[in-house]
Amino acid sequence: MLLEMTLNSKPVSVEIEADDLLADVLRDRLGLIGTKIGCNEGECGACTVLVDGQAVLSCLYPALKAQGRRVETVEGLVADGELHILQQAFVEAGAVQCGFCTPGMLMAAKSLLDENPHPSEAEIKEAISGNLCRCTGYYQITRAIQRAAGEVTP
Amino acid sequence: MKTQIVGRSLPRVDAWDKVTGQARYPGDFSMPGMLHGKVVWSEYPHARVRRIDTSKAEAHPGVVKVITYKDVPVNEYGINIYDQPVLVAEGDKVRWVGDRIAIVVAETERAAEEARRLVKVDYEPLPVVSDPREAMKPGSPLVHDERSNTNILHHIKIRKGDVEAGFAQADVIVEGYYITPYVEHAYLQPEAGLGYIDEQGRVTIVSAGQWPHDDIHQIAHLLNLPEDRIHEIVPAVGGAFGGREDMYIQHLLALCAYVVRRPVKIVFSREESITRTGKRHPFYLRHRWGATSDGKLMAVEIEGISDAGAYASTSIPVLANATSFFAGPYVVPNARIDGYTVYTNNAVTMAMRGFGATQPPVAYEQQMDKLAEALGMDPVELRLKNLFDEGSVAVTGNAMPPGVGIKETLRQAALAAGWREENGRWRRPDLGQPAALHKRRGIGVACAYKNVGYSFGFDDKTTARVELSLEESGAIGRARVRVGASDVGEGVHTALAQIAAEALGVPLERVEMAPLDTAEVPDAGSSSASRHVYISGNAVLRACQEAKTRWERALREESGETHIEAEYTFHGRNARPTTSYDPQTGQCEPHISYGYATQIALVEVDTETGEVDVLKVWAAHDVGRAVNPEMVMGQIGGGVHMGLGYALMEEFIQQEGLVRTRKFAEYQIPTVLDMPPEIVPIIVEVPDPTGPYGAKGLGEMTTLPTAPAILNAIYDAVGVRLEWLPATAERVLSGFRSRRGFGNLNGAGHQPGEKR
Repeated sequence: MLLEMTLNSKPVSVEIEADDLLADVLRDRLGLIGTKIGCNEGECGACTVLVDGQAVLSCLYPALKAQGRRVETVEGLVADGELHILQQAFVEAGAVQCGFCTPGMLMAAKSLLDENPHPSEAEIKEAISGNLCRCTGYYQITRAIQRAAGEVTP
Repeated sequence: MKTQIVGRSLPRVDAWDKVTGQARYPGDFSMPGMLHGKVVWSEYPHARVRRIDTSKAEAHPGVVKVITYKDVPVNEYGINIYDQPVLVAEGDKVRWVGDRIAIVVAETERAAEEARRLVKVDYEPLPVVSDPREAMKPGSPLVHDERSNTNILHHIKIRKGDVEAGFAQADVIVEGYYITPYVEHAYLQPEAGLGYIDEQGRVTIVSAGQWPHDDIHQIAHLLNLPEDRIHEIVPAVGGAFGGREDMYIQHLLALCAYVVRRPVKIVFSREESITRTGKRHPFYLRHRWGATSDGKLMAVEIEGISDAGAYASTSIPVLANATSFFAGPYVVPNARIDGYTVYTNNAVTMAMRGFGATQPPVAYEQQMDKLAEALGMDPVELRLKNLFDEGSVAVTGNAMPPGVGIKETLRQAALAAGWREENGRWRRPDLGQPAALHKRRGIGVACAYKNVGYSFGFDDKTTARVELSLEESGAIGRARVRVGASDVGEGVHTALAQIAAEALGVPLERVEMAPLDTAEVPDAGSSSASRHVYISGNAVLRACQEAKTRWERALREESGETHIEAEYTFHGRNARPTTSYDPQTGQCEPHISYGYATQIALVEVDTETGEVDVLKVWAAHDVGRAVNPEMVMGQIGGGVHMGLGYALMEEFIQQEGLVRTRKFAEYQIPTVLDMPPEIVPIIVEVPDPTGPYGAKGLGEMTTLPTAPAILNAIYDAVGVRLEWLPATAERVLSGFRSRRGFGNLNGAGHQPGEKR
């Protein structure tokens, strides 16, 4: 069957199976490998993407539910060759180590900042509390999001 | 030494790719005509395989081949000892649930998944050996009966001075029996990769290895091929922490490609990643320490037993490391130390951040605090009386080489945390107590140290090659560094690029790290032992120095050269030779270089629920020289994360060899909400004169003191000694209640993973 959605601001239609999950459609059918699968059961957050602005776990999200909706992935963050302010902050704050959690972290953070441009530290932690990271201890990630929100200066 | 690039927090060389989603990890690779592989795992922790019936699986639509032991040219491998079968043969034994029976290769992942359930295996279950302390005893069922008449894989003895005389001189003696759990590496990127035959006919593996050149060595053996017929490409790696030091999928990918001659992709599920791959060793540590009334350590008696699991992996070198650290970074004149590692039918145990240096401080730092309490002495003051200086003699009889920063880390951490020093006497800070009466605060100190580089006479070496492309003006346009160091996420490529840029006097942007393909870059050893900045950094530094000399000569001679190359192999032994343990006394020159650390934890314990909140951690780390301070901070954050999980949450549970923690919901690692709200990183730089720009190593040391600091803080708060990790709320509460006479669930006699 045909899935039609807006993916990273562009209309996309793709042939899928009824039981396909969004993560698999993005990765296997559309070649957008930036969305990572860390556990495939909704426990690690690496697969986080936005659907109509809401952060969802794409490894659990039926692809058909995205029908007619607006889907954003990490590949859509760069605009006109420029890094998104969150990406820039992650680079500068040392928030990236192995990088496997990074796309999911970025999307969870984007969902937060789109809704709440000046979150408190507690709100930031709440927003990424479903995203596991084994490398950083989260400090530089939290700091990067604060930096992107203009809450702290470098 | 004044530097321009070393010492600066420059962005990582791979950051752009990683934040844009362009970085490709092993699971992100696909090829036309690619097949999918699924492993048929052992269903028993110990059983004889009577018969393997693949007929139904082979008949399943889409299945191309069911690979069994019959397809493996030389059916053995292992990083240290070839004691593991690639695929278990009929008539042979499975020894744990991570043993493999077959690999089903099919046109689709779904077909492979369906067909692997159709492989029928007839097992004869055997008695399960699940406790190394029992397994050591004569008469225990044997895990490797064809190899040995004992399950004891290795025993190390250290004998120094006269222990009885030492205890006789002691005014106080403290004891403890400490048990550390199995720990899962829990890197976020599950095991995955691609195997294929390339256009030159070579067996090619795309996978996340920590030591790809050693993988090639082992694969050449098991496929019975020359090493130049195999190569491994290591793309972005989603964390490793020791868990990718052994082959876990590389040999399977190579075998699939070799047998079916088509590209084959294998991706483990998270459950496979947790239940079927290696773990950190549990240790059973019995300690008896004596000190004089003025706080001088006189004698230690220590026995440590580690669970090697079903196969050796690196259990022997992990034990060797651990045994050298059992007594901590302290001067002890008299020591009797025994270390054992023992085969069982539990999960294979292997390298994990610390490589035998992580378990010992759980014991030695609680011993130190017990001594401080028995002596009525401040724990900082007691440690300062006994910690190493340069030239101090360790239990192995060696003098500590220049660059001993352990006391400096303790002083700086203690002062930052509010300790006061007056005339050599140290006084702890007044913590205050929370208004809620059921919550109690406590503060705990822990010191630790660890080797940098491979030890005990192993020839630790890295070869680095640098190629300079010169511009018309003669300036260095680009420097390409070829070195087989796998960047597993810690940022070694960035650190080595900074060292290269510094040595060549060019901006970092002009340095390019060649992609890691074993056929294209020389062997740099493993991304382990906190060794790359020191060992590989030295190799890169010297190759660059040589290239620079040649470049300057070319400029002087106006030779018109456009390309300059230099190669250097750095051997750790050229800086400091090491030797293996003396079999009778354990006296030796164990390690090349060392990193030192102190952490102090402030905790709040809920006496009604047993829950522990870590409020703040002061982390002082002597790194010799911080090549990239922001990356040092990143290592500290990650090390504290793992140490906090080790102390309070993480426990890989097995019962009679069967795994009970199968997913992240059951094996929980700290989330952002579990982390202390504040870490105070303190970078101490006591240079090692043999390190590049004075640098030592750091990655592992950041996690060593965290758990004992938290445990000491819990004791300080509520008077409960947690000798059995992790200190879950249940165990803290149970300890607290038993102090008040409600019965004790803690302590000896239990093993990690045992359910109450």
